[in-house]
Amino acid sequence: MEYIITLMPSMLKGWTVTLQLFFIVLIFALPLGVVMGIARLSHFKPLAWFMELYVWLFRGTPLLLQLLFWYFGLMVIGLRVERETAVYLAFVLNYAAYLAEIFRSGIQSIEKGQYEAADVLGLSQRQTMTKIILPQVFKRVIPPVGNEVINLVKDTALVYVIAISELSRAARIHAVRDDTLIPFAIAALFYLLMTAVVQQFFKWLESRLDYYR
Amino acid sequence: MYILQAQDIYKKFNSTEVLKGISLQVEKGEVIAIIGPSGSGKSTFLRCLNRLETIDRGRIEIQGGIMVENDAGGRAVYSSEKDIARMRQKMGMVFQSFNLFPHMSVLENLMLAPLLVNKADPDQARETALALLNKVGLENNANSYPFELSGGMQQRVAIARALALNPDIMCFDEPTSALDPELTGEVLQVMKDLAMEHMTMVVVTHEIGFAREVAQRVIFMDEGLIVEEGKAEEVLLNPCQERTRNFLSKVLMAR
Repeated sequence: MEYIITLMPSMLKGWTVTLQLFFIVLIFALPLGVVMGIARLSHFKPLAWFMELYVWLFRGTPLLLQLLFWYFGLMVIGLRVERETAVYLAFVLNYAAYLAEIFRSGIQSIEKGQYEAADVLGLSQRQTMTKIILPQVFKRVIPPVGNEVINLVKDTALVYVIAISELSRAARIHAVRDDTLIPFAIAALFYLLMTAVVQQFFKWLESRLDYYR
Repeated sequence: MYILQAQDIYKKFNSTEVLKGISLQVEKGEVIAIIGPSGSGKSTFLRCLNRLETIDRGRIEIQGGIMVENDAGGRAVYSSEKDIARMRQKMGMVFQSFNLFPHMSVLENLMLAPLLVNKADPDQARETALALLNKVGLENNANSYPFELSGGMQQRVAIARALALNPDIMCFDEPTSALDPELTGEVLQVMKDLAMEHMTMVVVTHEIGFAREVAQRVIFMDEGLIVEEGKAEEVLLNPCQERTRNFLSKVLMAR
């Protein structure tokens, strides 16, 4: 027990790094995903094709490699970016690609009749999207978006490769130094705590939107 | 004075010609029923009238404004979006599948377009909406959500929603086809009430009884053409064409 208490300061410090990463990535990736999902369905074909290419690239390669690319890869061609910048670039662009696919399929799942009804009532395309389609899409995509958000909680652990001291790296340092697995168990508890909160939040969100079907 | 004129409408889906030269003139206050077998093009024709489908050839005029006409090469060219939007504003549309907005209450469904499109005063829009709900017998369901209502009630809401924009013409695309038989009556009653108020109506329907009772004119379509048209009693009780007779006997037999 005493040993666990001695771990806490650095574990908590790592945890705040993890939390910060988690929230900042979400704040940027969610709206970007919506915009990209809409762009993939654009009638302007080059834009739609570009988005398809984008999704293929960022969904089709490991996030770990993307992280290394944004940090070391850019360094090689003489562009020095801050470690945090590289992390946010990698995570936001990667998660936006996944979310774009979720929002795209969500938009496509809305019945054609909804567009037609909005059309004959004289709503503009923008009004149709913001007032009719997207509100229904948000309800439908809650479960898959919840999955992605939980993945994000755990994926934050990847940033150890460019030596950022988040939760799992803090645990590893202790484990190696003190030759024990306890720090990893503690880290696991932290992750479970975070995913429990996320899970409850999405459950609440689903029930909030249960007033219509 | 015609409120709506469609001349020689042609339309293909890929290589299948679904409308092969359809013309229709609608007078103010007239109720027209379009009947015919599935795949005859009757719904497509109705959808062309307010550009839910675009036509390949022909001319559509709504209250003196030209929505679409042929260019010198004989191909349909549409007017500007702005002009078309103005013309469509005066046409209400009711769909087979209701197409209510499920995330909005009944009242919100009715108020949406007046507020967003016509920039109506909110209090005024609410008052109009409640009056319309009263008219279709749903004054107690203003705060319900569509999923809480029966199909017949949903379709009555959809009619009220179309009326909220104060249209000059109402188009109905098989409004009772998705309903259980015991629910069609309440929808047809609302439509009858509208006809009594001299609303101009174009109704694509399988309800021969309704056509006979309410429509002044009946149009029988088959294979993309108008086979027969005329006064409701004549077409329905005493059709000249073999194909009309065949269709009617099948439809009436099925009841």
